[in-house]
Amino acid sequence: MDKVGRVCHIYLTPTHAMLLHNLLGATASGSDGSGPQCVAQFARDLLFRDYYLSSRNGNRIAFAVDIALLHRALRSVLAVHAQSPAAGDAPAAIQVRLVNKLPAGSRSAAPFLTFETKGARAAVVQDVPISRPLSRSDVERLQAALDAAQELPQTLVQVPDLPQLQSLVDRLKNVGDLLTVAVTQYGDLHLQVSTSVVTVGSEFRRLRVLGDRANAPVGDQNLTASTRMDMAVERGEALSVQVNMKHLVKSLHCHLAKPDCTFYGIVPHGACLTVIFQYFIPGTRLTDKSISFYCRLPILDPGSS
Amino acid sequence: MSSSTSGRDDDAPDLVCQLDCVHGMVEALSSARWKRHQDAVMELSQHGVVITVEESGCLQAKVFLKRELFVEYEYAGQGRVRFGLSLGLLIDCLNIFSSPGHASAVEIRYPGPDMQLLLKSVGSPDACMYAEIRTRIPDTVSWDFQFEHAGNTPVTFTVKSAILKESIDDLEWPGSNIQIQMQPDPPSVILKGEGHGDLQIEYPYYANTDLLIAFQCDREVSYRYKYKFLRATTSNIPSSVIKENRGTKVQIGRGGMLKIQHLISVARPGMPYYRNIAGGDDQTSRIVYVEFFVKPEEDDNTVNDA
Repeated sequence: MDKVGRVCHIYLTPTHAMLLHNLLGATASGSDGSGPQCVAQFARDLLFRDYYLSSRNGNRIAFAVDIALLHRALRSVLAVHAQSPAAGDAPAAIQVRLVNKLPAGSRSAAPFLTFETKGARAAVVQDVPISRPLSRSDVERLQAALDAAQELPQTLVQVPDLPQLQSLVDRLKNVGDLLTVAVTQYGDLHLQVSTSVVTVGSEFRRLRVLGDRANAPVGDQNLTASTRMDMAVERGEALSVQVNMKHLVKSLHCHLAKPDCTFYGIVPHGACLTVIFQYFIPGTRLTDKSISFYCRLPILDPGSS
Repeated sequence: MSSSTSGRDDDAPDLVCQLDCVHGMVEALSSARWKRHQDAVMELSQHGVVITVEESGCLQAKVFLKRELFVEYEYAGQGRVRFGLSLGLLIDCLNIFSSPGHASAVEIRYPGPDMQLLLKSVGSPDACMYAEIRTRIPDTVSWDFQFEHAGNTPVTFTVKSAILKESIDDLEWPGSNIQIQMQPDPPSVILKGEGHGDLQIEYPYYANTDLLIAFQCDREVSYRYKYKFLRATTSNIPSSVIKENRGTKVQIGRGGMLKIQHLISVARPGMPYYRNIAGGDDQTSRIVYVEFFVKPEEDDNTVNDA
């Protein structure tokens, strides 16, 4: 998430811990309220051994944090933690707490997310400054936005090679800012950039399909990729939307999080382009349901662009 | 747009050709790209494709892609077909097809339904890339870049491309105009820059046989050229030319017209044999000629061959 934006919300509920980016629109990232939304949700038991959470707001807490600082703290925690387990010792636990304390040189207490790590020879405490917890109404807005973001596309296609797609998009972004993405029910993914002087596109065919599917029409091999796609949209077997190239590039940075597989889909009525990343339970090909990680790219209205 | 399309009622394209690897073509075209936005004229014929770029009537570059470079080359146009397009756009589009590790063949077709230049990846049925480049009615290419030898014997030398590039890069410091002087006795080439300071680079023919590969000059010739034009001729030489230790041929013709010719190999790395339309499998035919023509500065003080 480091690359998606500078600030994210951490949202803790009795069952899940979540990193949310851009869900609150303008309040989340200042002026750029229309960027891609990004949600990483972890089941409580996956991250924590003991978990205690209490608030006056139905035991839900949300606050904003600078991702770069959080990332730095986590790296150092990992480094210290890696030194610790002497033979026979149980691996040291990392304690994460939300505290209010008086920062040096300041008179008023400020909230921090505190990491306490015990290494072999050292114990390190790191305070990551965070925002004041969001108000009850903001938490409710966050929850509502999260609920709204649960809407799944009816058809998802699996993109086999994310780095390859990224290198393609890196080269396409020199051409133009506006990208047309189309997904068909028979597993075609079509990307196209068009400007007044050039049209460049790429079509991936016969990808794995989840959800609603249709049989590929026979005898369309000799058509051009764009005609094929236009016909599929006309038949109602495909959805096509336009997104900002920069948003797609940002969402592709998520492959740094090494997902095991990636799906693209368009939410009904073309509300947004959804990218879903899945992780397998280690050693299996089963999807790990305790992690949910997805991005939603806002759709640009062709009329307004 | 093109005169040759009139009079034919079938909609067969003028040109359908296929390249097995666009990398070499990208390199060759890039060597003629000295700024971001350049208009180029593409000329198709049964012998191949020629791309011409020009700047302010003083500098012209031509990239010759012979038909032997293509895996397939079918030309159905009449005579020569010319159209204009943006060189940068063409390079960017070709680059999209040359993703590392996926050297798929590219089909080039002209004209499309709207007179576009069509590029399409071929070979993989499940992943396809395509580009449609809008073309223009071509600008007139000025013909006063016609190169003629001034006397009976051509005045020419051949130098390692890397050395020429390094010399021209070094001459950036004095800047302004660069004088190129060739003399038969002692046989040598002198590049001289006078501006913020003086810098003179001399290639003696006999002193070092590795330096000048060939030298031919029967009288002293000296002309001045704008530095930025000289620089354009070597600034984007592909690294393969340097690596393969190739030579660049420099000629001075009538009126001081300078002709610089690079040979760029478009052989696919790691693939010693390939099949071309002639069924041949030698890599020597996989050379792209890139030629630059630079007009001299008007200057009374230079020793002319007139």
